[in-house]
Amino acid sequence: MTSLQKLTTLARLLSLRQQSRTELVNATRNYSVFNPTYVKPVFRPEEQEALDQEEELKALSLLPIKPAFTDDTSSEFYDKQVNKFINFLMREGKKETARKALENTFENIKRIQLEKYNKATDPAEKEKIELDPRAILRQAIENSTPVLELLKMKKGGQTYQVINDTFHIQFEKLADDALFCCIKVPVPLTEKRAQFLGMNWLIQAGKDKQMKVHLSEKLAHELIDAANNEGRVIKKKQELYRQCEANRSYAHFRWF
Amino acid sequence: MAVSQRNFIKLLKLTNLRQSSTAAQAMPVHEDIHQSFRTREDNPEYHGMQHINRIYTIPNNDLKMITCQGLITMYMKQFKTFAEASILVRKPAVEIISYLNQADYSKPVNKYVLYGEDGTGKTSTMLHTLHYAYTKGQIIVHVPWIRSWFDGPKETANSITKTNKIDLPFHAAAWLRNFKTQNQHILNKADIKLSATHEWSATENSAKDSSLMDMIDFGISRIKFASNVIIKLMSELKQASTSGKCKVLVAIDGYNALFSQQTNIFNDNKQMVPASQVSLTEAFLDITKSDWCNGQVIVTVDKMATKENAESHFPRYLLTNEGFDHLDPFLPISVENYTEDEFNTVIEYYKNRKWIRNLSSDGQKELQLLSGGNPYKLMEYCKHL
Repeated sequence: MTSLQKLTTLARLLSLRQQSRTELVNATRNYSVFNPTYVKPVFRPEEQEALDQEEELKALSLLPIKPAFTDDTSSEFYDKQVNKFINFLMREGKKETARKALENTFENIKRIQLEKYNKATDPAEKEKIELDPRAILRQAIENSTPVLELLKMKKGGQTYQVINDTFHIQFEKLADDALFCCIKVPVPLTEKRAQFLGMNWLIQAGKDKQMKVHLSEKLAHELIDAANNEGRVIKKKQELYRQCEANRSYAHFRWF
Repeated sequence: MAVSQRNFIKLLKLTNLRQSSTAAQAMPVHEDIHQSFRTREDNPEYHGMQHINRIYTIPNNDLKMITCQGLITMYMKQFKTFAEASILVRKPAVEIISYLNQADYSKPVNKYVLYGEDGTGKTSTMLHTLHYAYTKGQIIVHVPWIRSWFDGPKETANSITKTNKIDLPFHAAAWLRNFKTQNQHILNKADIKLSATHEWSATENSAKDSSLMDMIDFGISRIKFASNVIIKLMSELKQASTSGKCKVLVAIDGYNALFSQQTNIFNDNKQMVPASQVSLTEAFLDITKSDWCNGQVIVTVDKMATKENAESHFPRYLLTNEGFDHLDPFLPISVENYTEDEFNTVIEYYKNRKWIRNLSSDGQKELQLLSGGNPYKLMEYCKHL
């Protein structure tokens, strides 16, 4: 680092400090309680075993380790994707409520599928019916996860800028809004964003219901539909793809 | 006719040699034979220690008759999902059934009180005994959950005959209707006549020596008098069974609700009414007295049966002094959590019904530790697997 760079960073830090002093009244500690030397905990038994085999466990045991989160368990029934879905389902930090809602959804899925299973007479037909609610959730997410997305972009002004930051396109505020019209640019998604969209569409479909119907009932049907590659969420994805196809001529805008 | 050697071999090839030979032949084995966790004995009368820890299935027709008064939704849901009504043969049920088989019916009624922690299976045990009573052709006086009357009654009315008493006309009429469908076949056969004239109002009465069924029909059609009809019905049933016309099994779930001080029923002054001031309470206290014979009384005491906070699940605490004095003498029967054998049987059953799949031994251990062998908790933990 050059001396100039050091100076500029110092100046920025000082200005930040001043800023925080002025806001001391409602100050919240947004930084981690733990020193950066602390490492993330490894809580899955299979990961621990793998570390043990590679003889990394001994080195890790000497390091300070952060405590695990409450939903990080070594239970046999732990599922990372299910936990993620619960977090997306959660509102106002009520994790227990969200977890119960998803558990009830799983129960409803099982009841619906078991009823089909018991009704089916042909053994080959019976085998086709998926009874595992986690497998159904996994399949539903896989089926409803999009690859492309449409981004709104203002075009026609004198100054516009597209910052291509690993596919996250941000547009700087433009000078004169009145002159611009919106165009939609098809953009490929990161894995994280795609997963977020897939899961959230499922949740939105589950929440679009009458007041009397429980979320767990509606969501169960939506998940089963999506797992079978049908239903509203799949339609939504296909509609998006259709629009992306129509707007393919704008695709080059993301390289600006 | 001589058959050439060549033709004979051809003939042998055509006919199924296996069937004509005496060698052992592979038969298609029915799936049920391998299910060691089940018992085929579906008559609870013969259930004994040899059937313990096994699962037995209540025949569909029987279930319909047993559950006329309704059952907790949880049970009906599970029976529907599993496409059969199966319950575990457990020690308390076998104990009661053995008592019921051996009891001297000429003596005053025996009273059995089922008690245990929440979710240990008191209602299931009662369901088992109800099936016993049904197969034995006894009249069933069943209340599935007393608290449901006191919690949020649809309509309340002041009693016509007694001051300070409250009637629950809708609940009373519904109970009577269910009682009729449940016991119609026995009541018609026994042909019970009324022992006295019961006057309902200035113009309406049930005359002496008229049929008991007529009185029940009257209660159903004139719901204003349904509560009073139930009170009289209980005394008539007691007399009929004492005279040997019929046998009666009384099964009341959440019996300690009858002695609770807190209900959701309010009188004209908008004051809360204790359970003792509800006219239906009188009827079911009456039938659990010891002044009749040729019947049996099975009740459960439950922490959740009253609005009050319960600290203990023992009958001495839940029944309170009043209830204890009323019910005494009774035989307390404890219903406890699953033993290890019972737990394994239930897990086997769940696997068989595909309720849980791909459960490793570690997973099973985890479930056992989480639930602590509590049947309800186990069911809850298995729901989403």
